[in-house]
Amino acid sequence: MTETDTGTPARTGSRHVVARVEEIPLGDRRIVTVGGRSIGVLNVGGRFYALRNACPHHGAPLCEGVVKGTMADTAVHEYSYVRHNEFIVCPWHGYEFTLATGRSLLEPEKTRVRTYEVTVEGGDVVLYA
Amino acid sequence: MTTIEARRGAAEQADPRKTGVIDSDVHPNFVNGIRDLTPYMTETWRSRLGVSGDDWAKGMAAAQFTLPLDYLYINSAGAYREDAARPGMPPATDPDFTAKHLLDTHGIYRAVLLAGQCLGIGAMPDGMVAATIAAAYNEWMCERWLQNDQRWRGALVVAPQDPEAAVAEIDRVAKRAGIVAVFMPLGEILMGEKHYWPIYEACARHELPLIVHPSGCENVFAKAPRMAGTPTFYLEWHTALGQIHQSNTLSMICHGVFEKFPKLTYIIAEGGFLWALETMWKLDRDWKGLRNEVPWLTRPPSEYLLDHVRFTTQPFIEPHDSRHLAPLMEMLHADRTLMFSSDYPHWDFDNPDRSLQGISRELRHKIMVETPRSVYGDRLD
Repeated sequence: MTETDTGTPARTGSRHVVARVEEIPLGDRRIVTVGGRSIGVLNVGGRFYALRNACPHHGAPLCEGVVKGTMADTAVHEYSYVRHNEFIVCPWHGYEFTLATGRSLLEPEKTRVRTYEVTVEGGDVVLYA
Repeated sequence: MTTIEARRGAAEQADPRKTGVIDSDVHPNFVNGIRDLTPYMTETWRSRLGVSGDDWAKGMAAAQFTLPLDYLYINSAGAYREDAARPGMPPATDPDFTAKHLLDTHGIYRAVLLAGQCLGIGAMPDGMVAATIAAAYNEWMCERWLQNDQRWRGALVVAPQDPEAAVAEIDRVAKRAGIVAVFMPLGEILMGEKHYWPIYEACARHELPLIVHPSGCENVFAKAPRMAGTPTFYLEWHTALGQIHQSNTLSMICHGVFEKFPKLTYIIAEGGFLWALETMWKLDRDWKGLRNEVPWLTRPPSEYLLDHVRFTTQPFIEPHDSRHLAPLMEMLHADRTLMFSSDYPHWDFDNPDRSLQGISRELRHKIMVETPRSVYGDRLD
């Protein structure tokens, strides 16, 4: 369970105003369609994330999944919950993806979902996709 | 090739440490059942078991005292090789005849003796009785078999009901000449549970692999391993044994036994092996979503199986289409997971000269020589 890439996605694509910032309160999300692509915009602890709403495993609507932390690597028969709300869990098979990078927790090189830059500009949530 | 190189090559060819076949499943038997073990018990335990003197207990208890085995499955093929018996001597009770019949005939370099009629003592209700029988069996095996022919090797037997006694037995017998493994008769508790961890610790500490094997008690005795139900027929029971080993292997992997005891090797004798394919693939797939249950697994679960679990070959598979054998062996990583076994003197004996037909010479050498060598180590020589 190692993953160090926290890179913010490069600003590519065109500018889309998704909502007023107060329309996506803490813990909420909005699924939008941009150029035929379904993209989830999530407000997690006041920071916005945007990911393609399709799990690379079987195509599930990933952005409808639960946002949570994970279990640390621990000794046998011990548990330790860590990194609260850094992951989104696929609603189908439970794969965990790091919100910031779109990389899967267990196969970060092989399994990755596309992320997009999202910012707050003058009270608007703006997606670049 | 120079003459010297050719000579050296011939010498290596002849070196049995590089070419000798290892048989990982041979069953030595008692002539008179539990009574064969009484010389190896204290008078206290002979008395406790009712196998001492001509007292009331001998007439009542001892006459009925027997060890849990597959007595309730009637094998219409006879359960034993007919030619393994001698007049007045049941199969595999005479070490000299057995050595000639099995080892000489097939040129087997070393054969590992597994438990005989003690295969099922994990199902006995009294763990102290089981531990006493295990200890007596170990003495009997060392004296009657291991000291009789240098080609025999033995798995020391422990009683799984009482891990503390099992560890004491491992510590007592592990360093004896000819001991190459620990045999654990199976009980009702799945093998990943903490109950067994002291036994695994002792195996790892002595660098002895742990071996398990069916007994015929499965789902017949309440303390024997569970199956989905109790099979009616021998054919049905014998074909379904993979159930138990799949469950135990999953239990060990998921509980992190191989993280906790990274030096432990676990040998499944006569438990099949192709079930391991689906087990590995399904484990790895589901683990990606369910890792939070078992965060102590630091690698895809299949890797623990491939690194720590070994399977004996008998009864070897005979696919309907022989072309399927090679890809199946590749999928199983048979070059590191399989070890040859004959199961002598049982009816379904696999002949080392015939049973691995259809696989490459290189793979046969891995299965018959190299992998068992890597598992048992120098104790073979």
